Amino acid sequence: MTKGSHSIELKGVDKEYHRDAFTIPVLTSLDLEVAEGEYLALMGPSGSGKTTLLNLIAGLDRATRGEVIVHGQDLGRLSESEITRWRADNVGFIFQTYNLIPVLTAFENVELPLLLTHLSRRARRENVATALRVVGLSGREDHYPRQLSGGQEQRVAIARAIVTDPYLLVADEPTGDLDRATAGEILELLEQLNREFQKTIVMVTHDPLAAERAGRILHLDKGQLVGDVIQGGRVSAAS
Amino acid sequence: MIPLKYNVRNLRVRWKTTFMTVLGTALVVWSSCILFGLVEGLEYSLRVSGEPLDLIVMRKGSSNETTGGFESSKAEEILNLPGIARDEKGQPLAAMELLNIPIAQRRDGTTTNLIIRGVQPASRSLRPDFKVVEGRFLDQGKEECIVSRNLSRSFKGAQLGGELTFGEKEKYRVVGIFTAGGSSAESEIWADLRDLEKNTGRVGTVSCVQLRAATAGDYEKLQATLNDDPQFKLAAIPESVYFESQSRSSVFLKTAGTLIAVLLTLGAMFAAANTMFASVSARTREIGTLRALGFSRRDILISFLGESVLICLMGGAIGLLGTIPLSSLTYETSDFNSFAAVTVAFRFGPLVMGVALAMTLAMGVFGGMFPALRAVRLDVISALRQL
Repeated sequence: MTKGSHSIELKGVDKEYHRDAFTIPVLTSLDLEVAEGEYLALMGPSGSGKTTLLNLIAGLDRATRGEVIVHGQDLGRLSESEITRWRADNVGFIFQTYNLIPVLTAFENVELPLLLTHLSRRARRENVATALRVVGLSGREDHYPRQLSGGQEQRVAIARAIVTDPYLLVADEPTGDLDRATAGEILELLEQLNREFQKTIVMVTHDPLAAERAGRILHLDKGQLVGDVIQGGRVSAAS
Repeated sequence: MIPLKYNVRNLRVRWKTTFMTVLGTALVVWSSCILFGLVEGLEYSLRVSGEPLDLIVMRKGSSNETTGGFESSKAEEILNLPGIARDEKGQPLAAMELLNIPIAQRRDGTTTNLIIRGVQPASRSLRPDFKVVEGRFLDQGKEECIVSRNLSRSFKGAQLGGELTFGEKEKYRVVGIFTAGGSSAESEIWADLRDLEKNTGRVGTVSCVQLRAATAGDYEKLQATLNDDPQFKLAAIPESVYFESQSRSSVFLKTAGTLIAVLLTLGAMFAAANTMFASVSARTREIGTLRALGFSRRDILISFLGESVLICLMGGAIGLLGTIPLSSLTYETSDFNSFAAVTVAFRFGPLVMGVALAMTLAMGVFGGMFPALRAVRLDVISALRQL
């Protein structure tokens, strides 16, 4: 199954959308390699294709041309149901607006991805408790999203993203709706997950301060990679 | 699978629309149950009226007891035929009966036709579960009558101790109230055969003879004798066949009821669909999130269909519970043959329960299908972008 030594590999990826008679190119001839355990920030102006790239890596969208290989799996070869299953097993999602289910408690929100596994109720309970402890929300299990602050909601969302111990975390503007101090806490938490649990993280952000927390920053413009900065000063060649 | 509590709590959050849909479903199920309860009651009354070894003997060519009639002399000969079952006193279980359909006045002053049956003592034993529940059985030749409990509630003078007067000549004192196991006899007034003959000027004529054969073999022989023997040349019809042929009104009611129920169900389906479309629309981003997390299209379909069925099941249960107070009520309708009043008790048996369940599931599944399919077809990325 393994096709490459990298965690994420994109080879000659094009992504186009069709609107009426028009073809709108979003990503063009994109090549990318991300190592296992890497923390990658995607930056660029609106419409540069960063969220589309994130969606391709997360298995939410499909490339028009080229290969997207994540953790050895060529996502283009998976059927609709297979890629759904693959997402459940391999990807944790963190959204800008948290996307918690408002009628479920923090515990139940975090438990949701575990309902797709064969874990017993007891094992699920233990995993949820662990995830909530990691994000610092022990004791808030029975709170509904409306009873939590924005930062706490995002922590619950992060707990939901890590509860199945996925290989990859994708975060789309995870601090976009938070104040500076709370954003700092969330970024600290993501750093911790990368550092201590070796999670591969791909984060889309507009915020340079947020991007600085990542080990590597990719800059996109008009669907092409225009900069690839590895923190510490090294600048790699961008395609 | 998406947990059921997700749907239950969403219904609670949108309690106003949920309540209105549940109420609409409940009303549809309730009104349909009433219609089918009436049909069930009518069919039951005809079904229990037919005993397997009983024969109704009428004039050849008669379609029912009220249109026939033959000589009393022939009828008396029938009573003495061998093969007729006997009661504990050795009396044959056979009775000559005469029917009259006068106009009677209800308690509210309106009028309708009623069946008065001139009976003999054996008539009692030929009805299932015949019981005088108040007063006593009538004495012969004393211008007395007994009234079914159903009729005693709604007709003027039909109460115990009252007096029923029909035209100038017919006058009967009510000495008893009876029940007859829900059979068609519960829509009748019974008087003495001779009194009725005299009062209606039909001396020497009977409408029919009711009899019970001693055994299945006797039953065959009696039927053959009465049908084919030149001495009789009558129509001896099995009771069950006779009452089945009398059920035209129930067929009409059943057809009309089914049509109305189908139309109401269609209406309720649209209501359920409307509620679920609104629900899907309000939860587009949640659906996108669930799909992103790895829940399949099938999970989403089952969840939203389940929610729709849940709403309708709640309505169905309330509608069905709403019929409980009606189960002790009776309904007056007209017999299509005699145009006499027929009193039917609502019956909420397996047919009605089945109809309620089928309607509920139809409303839930078909009402929820299109909204659920819409939820399933949502593009994950577009759904996640919804505010």
